Amino acid sequence: MKGAVPAVTDDKTDFEAVDFFRDESVVADPYPYFDALRARCPVQRESHHDVVMVTGYDEAVRIYNDTEAFSACNAVSGPFPGFPVPLEGDDVSGLIEAHRDELPMSDQLPTLDPPVHTDHRALLMRLITPKRLKENEESMWRLADGLLDDFLEGQNGGVAVSGEFVSGFAGPFTFLVIADLLGVPEGDRAEIAALLRHGPADGGGIGSTGEDTLDRNPLGHLYERVARYIEDRRRAPREDVLTGLATATFPDGRLPEAADVVRVAANLFAAGQETTVRLLGSALKLIAEQPRLQAELREHRDRVPLFVEEVLRTESPVKGDFRLTRVPVTVGGVGLPAGTTVMLLNSAANRDPRQFDDPAAFDPARPGVRRHIAFGRGPHTCPGAPLARAEARVAIERLLDRTTDIRLSEDHHGPAGARRFHYVPTFMLRGLTRLFLQFTLAPPQEAA
Amino acid sequence: MKASVDDERCRGHGICELACPEVFTLTDDGYAEAREGELPAGTEAGVKTAAGSCPERAITVT
Repeated sequence: MKGAVPAVTDDKTDFEAVDFFRDESVVADPYPYFDALRARCPVQRESHHDVVMVTGYDEAVRIYNDTEAFSACNAVSGPFPGFPVPLEGDDVSGLIEAHRDELPMSDQLPTLDPPVHTDHRALLMRLITPKRLKENEESMWRLADGLLDDFLEGQNGGVAVSGEFVSGFAGPFTFLVIADLLGVPEGDRAEIAALLRHGPADGGGIGSTGEDTLDRNPLGHLYERVARYIEDRRRAPREDVLTGLATATFPDGRLPEAADVVRVAANLFAAGQETTVRLLGSALKLIAEQPRLQAELREHRDRVPLFVEEVLRTESPVKGDFRLTRVPVTVGGVGLPAGTTVMLLNSAANRDPRQFDDPAAFDPARPGVRRHIAFGRGPHTCPGAPLARAEARVAIERLLDRTTDIRLSEDHHGPAGARRFHYVPTFMLRGLTRLFLQFTLAPPQEAA
Repeated sequence: MKASVDDERCRGHGICELACPEVFTLTDDGYAEAREGELPAGTEAGVKTAAGSCPERAITVT
């Protein structure tokens, strides 16, 4: 029933007609649907795929922190394809352990539960230490400038140029940053980029609103390439980051199987790139659309970090992910039987009026702006959050440095009042597919 | 009671500061710092919430 969806209001019958997982209308603007769900109940079962939708902030945080009652085994797949066997009984933990390997991305951090999750996450955190992140952040300025040299077509002071920001800057930038973080040699980066392009992005990727379900392992090509690095560096250690990756140990000192290292490294690309691309797109759309906001950020660079936080709150790049109840549990007064698929909607929780006054308003100066749960909460809190925050800050600052004005291309997005934007057609991610911008370049002497 | 943040583990999520701003603050570097010395009365519950909510298990309470 794509397309033919009635307008969403807080009327119960309307939101029940919407299939969040398939309808294109909620891709374009999910927020009225979330508001209608929350108005009915912050923990509300939807009728199309039998998923309990959590749109309340406190309720989502409570579930994120409760790894005893909620398994993350279905975190990225939810109802598609759903659990392979019927989930019957008052404790489905045994069934989860028996069948979790049959679920999509079952070897990736987001779907692991403690204690395995605890060990594998610790491994990842040994790869992205504060020291490594600081070195990586220093590279970001150089990487951003290198890309902007091409994207802004040289530095012809005062000349207006235009470009498509998502593929022209955001995609290559986030890729190069992660390649730098992992220490992928420069000569190999094009090859890795090609592997990623031919991976999940081409088909029904995570959270596609299309009919297909997720491959069990859409990252196969990338795994093979990263495995070669790990084996190579274990055989012949060098003074490089990949060697650190290859020799990192679990908290108890065990050396992981090469395959385990490959999974956490591949996860950085899989989880860290696409999401940050969407964050950058949403941030630049706002900057281009709101001249006063842009002027304020140009004037007060120290306000960029809170601006980024408010973008994360109002346009959370990951709309949400899933959990499966192991046992009967009550959340926000609603009883959930064992085996219930729950979707934790970060982007709905981040607009919960019980938590944020006037939640739809974009206000980087609002109190406690960082309370948002765009990066989730609890043990699965996005390990790449510091990376994403730094990438957004560096990209925005460099774009502001090198331009005197950034605006939307009206040829592509239409005039004020009748703008057109296309969002990625997935129920998990939120962001623009394309963002056409026009820039007035700063005179070369003003460029930092 | 005293609290400390392991700066090798902290990744600047800022959840401790939200839970207990009297004790935890994010520095300009973006990482958390705990107030030094004996903690003021009345902060115990907040400090425990902060320690329990840290995704990196970076907070030690003694």
